[in-house]
Amino acid sequence: MQGSPGWRTTVQGGQPVLMKLATTAKRAGRRFASSLPALFGVLIFTFLLMRVLPGDPAVFFASGPNAGKEEIETIRKQMGLDKPVPQQLALYLYDVGRGNLGRSLMTGQNVTKDLRERLPASLELTFSALLIALVSAIPLGILAALRPGSAIDHGVRLFCALGVCIPTFVSGLLLIYVFYYLFGVAPDPTGRVDIFISQPPSRTGFLLIDFLLAGDLDGWWAAFKQLILPACTMALFVIAPLARITRASMLASLGSDFVRTARSVGLSWWRIVVTYALRNAILPVITIAGIVFSTMLGANVLVEKVFSWPGVASYALDALLSSDYAPVQGFVLLMAFVFVIVNLVVDVLYGIADPRISIG
Amino acid sequence: MRLMHSKQMLGAAAVLALLVAAGPVRAQTRAETLRYVTGASVNTLDPNIPGSTREAFAVSLSTYDRLVSFGRKQLNGKWVFDLDSIRGELAESYDVSPDGLKITFHLRKDAKFQDGTPVTADDVKWSLDRAVTAKILGKAQLLTGSLTDASQFKVIDPAVFEVTLPKPDKLALPNLATVYPIIINSKLAKAHVTEEDPWAQAWLKENTAGSGAYIIETFKPGEQVILKRNDVWNRGLGGKQAFFKRLIVQSVPEAATRANLVEKGDVDIVIDLQASDAQSLEAKGKLQVISTPQYNAITFVSMNNQMPPFDKADVRRAIAYALPYDDMFKAALFGRGAPLTGATWADGKPPSGAFPIPQPVKLDLDKAKAYLKAAGYPDGFSTTFSFNVGQAATAEPMAALLKESLAKIGIKVDIQKLPDAQMSTQITEKKLPFFTEGVVAWLPSTDYFYRNFYTGDQRWNYSSINNPELTAIAQEARFEADKVKYEADGKLLNAIHFDQMPQIPLWQPSQDAVMASSIEGYTYQFHRQVDYRDLSRK
Repeated sequence: MQGSPGWRTTVQGGQPVLMKLATTAKRAGRRFASSLPALFGVLIFTFLLMRVLPGDPAVFFASGPNAGKEEIETIRKQMGLDKPVPQQLALYLYDVGRGNLGRSLMTGQNVTKDLRERLPASLELTFSALLIALVSAIPLGILAALRPGSAIDHGVRLFCALGVCIPTFVSGLLLIYVFYYLFGVAPDPTGRVDIFISQPPSRTGFLLIDFLLAGDLDGWWAAFKQLILPACTMALFVIAPLARITRASMLASLGSDFVRTARSVGLSWWRIVVTYALRNAILPVITIAGIVFSTMLGANVLVEKVFSWPGVASYALDALLSSDYAPVQGFVLLMAFVFVIVNLVVDVLYGIADPRISIG
Repeated sequence: MRLMHSKQMLGAAAVLALLVAAGPVRAQTRAETLRYVTGASVNTLDPNIPGSTREAFAVSLSTYDRLVSFGRKQLNGKWVFDLDSIRGELAESYDVSPDGLKITFHLRKDAKFQDGTPVTADDVKWSLDRAVTAKILGKAQLLTGSLTDASQFKVIDPAVFEVTLPKPDKLALPNLATVYPIIINSKLAKAHVTEEDPWAQAWLKENTAGSGAYIIETFKPGEQVILKRNDVWNRGLGGKQAFFKRLIVQSVPEAATRANLVEKGDVDIVIDLQASDAQSLEAKGKLQVISTPQYNAITFVSMNNQMPPFDKADVRRAIAYALPYDDMFKAALFGRGAPLTGATWADGKPPSGAFPIPQPVKLDLDKAKAYLKAAGYPDGFSTTFSFNVGQAATAEPMAALLKESLAKIGIKVDIQKLPDAQMSTQITEKKLPFFTEGVVAWLPSTDYFYRNFYTGDQRWNYSSINNPELTAIAQEARFEADKVKYEADGKLLNAIHFDQMPQIPLWQPSQDAVMASSIEGYTYQFHRQVDYRDLSRK
């Protein structure tokens, strides 16, 4: 029975929990430290890239009526663009080191503040979308794997194909049209909560949590309703990779020896599928979910635009279009950071799903 | 994997089902609130900050007062701002001295800032000093009205304020009604002055210190601004306070969503829909659609007059006769606006000294070919036509038609779509040969248009035209007090324009204000935004 989950459970149970936690933390710390050079590289690369791109931000922002050379110079000075590039880079690194990402000309605010206000909106949306995607993709994948080649399998394949090939702004607008415009069951698709509802005191930045903390259930419901359409739009787009990977790895694990053995000992169907086959098949799903999450966070710009969601991705796009350097640099750095964290979490989850991986 | 238990799955399904079944919940009565959505966003509370958006102008117009404001008049049955009628806002009245060199303002005695302190001539002095001294947008604007130096502003007594001009300038007074010369609570602002920021720009960007009709409640740059009424403000038309108790200005980037929102009645007014949406909403007849041709705006096809082959007037004339104006107007704007082509000038001379006026050009390929031959390009040439991504909705169909038509006279056109910042940069550096752009003049007088858009080497001289005669007449017309002579100057300028054809004025797009049928009082304003103070609900 070596390699089967049953064997693993006993060893796991025998290992002192504290020691296991300490090892995991140490590993996570080492992992994080080893990704710092990569973050630094991203920082420098984005900085240089922004300066190579055509388009002069000073000219753009001085585009009001009657703006002349003097205005352009003022803005250039304000942005520090009058200095040579190496000096700009040094100043930028110094500022970032002190946690200051610069000032956005577009919103007029500090980039750190902008990102801090907008990241929870994006995270809340992405987490919800990922949750919806996982909750629908995993059962779909399992169903497809249990009856490969059947009508269900083809149905799942068709659904996945539709989800992937319809761009998010189309499905978003379509959902708005049907649920808001035609049937009027969804709230108006602007922002995170009905504009007539007062916002809860911001503790975590996640509205669903903040409303609960404030004990405002009506508010929570309003925020929840507002979240559903954009989250579904994003989920539709990522169901396909998750369902396909679930199906593939379930197929492999259903055809393996231990499942055949489990069947032969006469274990219940449910137990075979969930405890034995799925637990073994879940690793690649975790990996893909991690990747999907990081890409979603940056790639949901269209969803954020369609639903006027005040997230980081739409913020970065606006900044890019107007050559507003500081927010774009800040955003890329943030995304790199999130990517590192997500990878870390995936590693830790791996260790939990399969303790053999954390050895060494 | 604990999530996969069937109970949780059922729970999730139940929540989803509930959601679909639940009807919309109306949070509170909305009759007293005006909700306005826009594609752009408010990025500063002080309109003077470089980079401030038009939406920011609209918000500052309702939070700050100016000394004076424009009256309104009817143009083809629609209310538009009136450049020639200036009424008091913070000033109860004003007199202009007979020689036109002194303007004296008598301030309202009952006017108070939002913190309760009275508005005095000292505040006016500080605010206007700031407008011409600090490195802010107001400086360049006020210059066009000969307001350049703090020494021109004088406090006579707490309620009387005087402006001195070096020359009589008919744009001095209108300039004080534009968005920049806001009157700031100087005591409050001075409390936030620092050594490197003597005019409190950083503080005023995020805070208001005004006496206007509305008070900022929350301000989230890029998302929304919520304002509440200043009940003591009484400077609306007829000495009334603003109608709406609350005002929501919200950014909704997607044009289709803005159209849905206003159609469903969740939003009261929107002005930046796509032409096709405005048209279909108008056809449905449920909403009010007020389309006003933007009579102070022009959309051009511009040619770089310093760059071959467009440095030859005959090439520019050839282009002017080779564009399918009617098709372009229909494809780009769905016919919403006022065309500036297809006129007949009786004896070939401009019928008026106003600008812009419709040009006597229309699609005539034979004439175009003849001009091209005269210019020495009988077989045509190749060039690039550029436009801004931000204007793609109108510029894209227009560019396609232009390309098709110019191909018929042998001119091969490559269409180039540029991101906004890149387009601005290339225009400023005068690197684009052939492109489309739009301009707006807040104070649309003939000399103002010509001085700003046809002279000098600044960005706004899109065609880079350098015509000494035109420049001289435009400068002279600025201070011309005699109306007959001014009209004659205008005709001369228009004649030079048509002869040289530095760029081709195409049309004035419509401003389509789409609003609930209960909204009244909409006026087309020089800043092309909604003046919230004008509106009321039936």
